[in-house]
Amino acid sequence: MADYKAVKIDKGPGGWGGPLTIKPTADRPYIYSVTGGGIHPLAARIAELTGGEAFDGFSSSKPFDQIAVAVIDCGGTARIGVYPMKKVPTVDIHATSPAGPLAMFITEDLLVTGVKLDNINPA
Amino acid sequence: MTVLYSSTVTEIGELVPTFVAEGMLVFFGEGAPEELKTFCIIHRVEHKEGQVKPGDRVSIDDHSFEVLAVGSVANDNLYNLGHLNLKADGNNEADLPGDVCIAQVELPEITIGTKLEITRSN
Repeated sequence: MADYKAVKIDKGPGGWGGPLTIKPTADRPYIYSVTGGGIHPLAARIAELTGGEAFDGFSSSKPFDQIAVAVIDCGGTARIGVYPMKKVPTVDIHATSPAGPLAMFITEDLLVTGVKLDNINPA
Repeated sequence: MTVLYSSTVTEIGELVPTFVAEGMLVFFGEGAPEELKTFCIIHRVEHKEGQVKPGDRVSIDDHSFEVLAVGSVANDNLYNLGHLNLKADGNNEADLPGDVCIAQVELPEITIGTKLEITRSN
């Protein structure tokens, strides 16, 4: 049984939303990196601090209800809304604000953007 | 003419019309996670070289549009993920870092087998 810890994730310079407090559970263990090119350093950092399991969303998928947090590198239109729409807390490495057809699903308790490694700290 | 990028549409998500209604086409490469496929046009990328910039042309089958603006992460998206947010918003500066902007036109119909091409006249 993993011992999970919480982290607080603040928005970065020019970013939007948050802060999010993320604590994986046995049912929602995955730190889901949807960034291409493997596990993003931010996802690795969140996994390291929380005890969650970093997972590359481009290698295969996990159900929404097993994802503790999604880490994206979205330019503002699509991925920025997909995970919030399913109530999955989402971290965007780019400093974007909600836009596009999915913007209505995006709230400050589900999305934080412009996040840098320094913005992730033990809660 | 140089072909910078070419691909063929292989799958069309059920929410794609929602995005088309707002003047945008969202493409993703075939490796995209399942949850993204519902609102994306999935395409098989056959060729990619160089960086897309304003003045290049995007062709969708027989329809050709001039690229007006390219967001700061649009090329990374395109080359790493096969991901393109094509917006018919007429903007000369991209609103969002992922945008590739063309004139405010009615977007052509996308079907399985539709060819996407980005070209530069030499």
